[in-house]
Amino acid sequence: MSNTKTGAGKTADYLYYVVRIATLVMVVIAFFPQLNPAKICEFVNKNMSLFTSGVSYGGLTKECGRAFRQGWIQESSFRLLFASSMISCIGIALAVVNGCMSIGNVKFKRLGNWFGIAGTVLELGGMAGIYNAYTQVAATDHPDRVIPSLPAFQMGLFLTLAVLVLVCTVVIQLLLPKARPEDQYEMESKYKLFLMFMPFAALAFVFSYLPLYGWRYAFYNYESGGTLSRDNFVGFQWFTMLFENAATRQDIVRVLRNTLAMSGLGIATSWCAMAFAIFLSEIKNSHVRRFVQTFTTIPNFISWVLVYAIAFAIFSTDGFLSGIMQNMGVWDAGRNLLQDPSHMWLKMLAWGMWKGIGWSAIIYIAGISGIDQQLYEAATVDGAGRFQKMWHITVPGLIPTYMVMLLMSIAGILSNGMDQYMVFENAMNTDTITVLDLYVYKLGIVGGAIPLSTMIGMVKSLISVVLLFAANSISKLLRGESIV
Amino acid sequence: MAKTTQEKLDEKAEKLYYKKHKKRYRYTAGDIVFSILNYTFFIVFTLCCVFPFYYLFINTISDNELVSRAAINFIPRGIHFENYANLFHAGEVGQAFLVSISRTVIGTTLMVAASALAGYLVTKQNMWHRKFWYRFLVVTMYFNAGTIPWYLNMSMLGLTNNFLAYIIPGIVAPYNIILVKTYVESIPAELEESAFMDGAGYFTIFRRIILPLCKPILATIAIFGAVGHWNSFTDSLILMQNAPELFTLQHRLYLYLNTTSNLGALFEGGASSVSEGVIQSALNSKVIKYTISMVSIIPILLVYPFMQRYFEKGIMLGAVKG
Repeated sequence: MSNTKTGAGKTADYLYYVVRIATLVMVVIAFFPQLNPAKICEFVNKNMSLFTSGVSYGGLTKECGRAFRQGWIQESSFRLLFASSMISCIGIALAVVNGCMSIGNVKFKRLGNWFGIAGTVLELGGMAGIYNAYTQVAATDHPDRVIPSLPAFQMGLFLTLAVLVLVCTVVIQLLLPKARPEDQYEMESKYKLFLMFMPFAALAFVFSYLPLYGWRYAFYNYESGGTLSRDNFVGFQWFTMLFENAATRQDIVRVLRNTLAMSGLGIATSWCAMAFAIFLSEIKNSHVRRFVQTFTTIPNFISWVLVYAIAFAIFSTDGFLSGIMQNMGVWDAGRNLLQDPSHMWLKMLAWGMWKGIGWSAIIYIAGISGIDQQLYEAATVDGAGRFQKMWHITVPGLIPTYMVMLLMSIAGILSNGMDQYMVFENAMNTDTITVLDLYVYKLGIVGGAIPLSTMIGMVKSLISVVLLFAANSISKLLRGESIV
Repeated sequence: MAKTTQEKLDEKAEKLYYKKHKKRYRYTAGDIVFSILNYTFFIVFTLCCVFPFYYLFINTISDNELVSRAAINFIPRGIHFENYANLFHAGEVGQAFLVSISRTVIGTTLMVAASALAGYLVTKQNMWHRKFWYRFLVVTMYFNAGTIPWYLNMSMLGLTNNFLAYIIPGIVAPYNIILVKTYVESIPAELEESAFMDGAGYFTIFRRIILPLCKPILATIAIFGAVGHWNSFTDSLILMQNAPELFTLQHRLYLYLNTTSNLGALFEGGASSVSEGVIQSALNSKVIKYTISMVSIIPILLVYPFMQRYFEKGIMLGAVKG
């Protein structure tokens, strides 16, 4: 990376690895509540990370209201804590800038090092500020309420890293050759592209990969607001509980039956979209065809809540259907059909079709227009009728698309989402409507049984991945093409 | 719907074909029966799709007294628009509307910008470990950790009861990035090369050449993204448990639909109807539910004509894998 690979240049390169890794660790620390060096007393929420302590004063002091009023702690100490956390965060940001600039040329590196030095100095200052805030808080008259505690490990770790980065950066700055005055800021294009892409990779990591770290809750006896420690590690106890505890087992069996039944019905009727497209294309008047296509697609774009609103307007006690039936004298009073728990699976299928069939048909309509017209002409000459042409030309032409859709839906058999079932659920039909996703939501978010629901979600995710791979291999076997 | 020249030619050929064959082709009785059945089915199904929207609408603009007796079924009577005006007297609804609008606008803008840039970057063969980073993104479409770990993660990041929770997680959308990538790959490479020769940097090329050429695909993902934002309900339900002021319109509507209590109290301004007693309030509950539903549907119906152009593009490109 340096222009001349002298011994000094090589040493600088090695030191840069240390700097980059240490910087990365500091970024991680900034976002992990367990590693927050700013947790100096009971009133700092244990869900606050260094980053959140440094950007949200309201969040930091959320639990302090009483303590401030009673004079247990001074608000100025918390202001100091907030400012110090913010300074540390800025320091980390500068260190990151250094890490990014370190893959440029010498001129870039030398500038970056100043950022790095400034950043680490800020970090050290921030830590000093936090320590100062701690001594102020520790001087409280009510240590039993405030419970001041120095986060020694967290602070020590952070200080070690900051000092390490500082020392390395200074050494590198001394080792690096002076940039020639005619040098420009330059970076190899492969690194430039990567740096531009990095924010997206970081976001994807934080929101898609980091949740996997939450799977560890499935192995602990965790209660909301508690902590994870060696004491409440239970291994696979929650997993075995799924099978051994009679009540849970019954729940799981019931929920799985609903899930598989409704997904299964969906899969068994998935050919309907294809039939819809085929028969729609039999309508020769293109205005009618377009009209139908336009209006049958609308329901796909409204949310399930709105679908329920529509169901409510049509089928509830004083809705459309009740009104009509009463006017005709068939019913004496309005009926709320949404409360009726019978045939729930079929009703859900019907709503799913109402919402989705027009949209699902589009891909097949596009497929039909891709079929060679000469095939139809030849068949007509040979005397084939309408249905024979459909069955022997159109259907075979659409089967490859259908197979992909079918395999994808088989891979997603356990994930039928919770929106639809959540909005249509009520006390009467809950037994036959609760699917896996809804069950996990109710168990974990509403009921607070975090470990058990995490375990169920985890098993579900693993099975889904296996199913996806299986579907993919089948597709490869049958069509010689993968679907993912 | 915009038609390509190929489509126009096809249509012409089709018309010609039928004109030529019409004289020779005689409709049999079977054909006629089939056509009648076919038309009937599709017209009835289309009505099933359209009528509920119409029914909701006429009930929100008709005389509230008639609506309460379920007397408005096909034709609106006593037309007035006070319900819509009154709705915004209820602070909750106005607030929810604002939240939904802001998340849709901000979230969609950022998502489109991010997808455009990321989609362009992953087409660059000389990016450091391009294959790995691309897969790193794509893989996230095929697994997820589950609702609870996702929730725990969001709360660890301080994104519960926080408006940013609507925006930030949606910025990187792998599927949309793939769509943009596929599209950028179809742009002739010479365009970029010549700009590169002229000394333009990657960012300049992106802004001056790629971005303008990508407008159709960006419009597609913008519209689908906006509809997704407008419709999303689960994130509000799970993440905003202690921040009712951040509920989205869909979440509010869900709560209202499930409440049997007197929603008439929401109408602070429309006090005249509230004072008339319980029946009047019950009536208002129904009208309020319908009106909020309509308010949630109208934006979708407004963008729908624009969306239609992009339907096939969106769904067909999805079939192309990265």
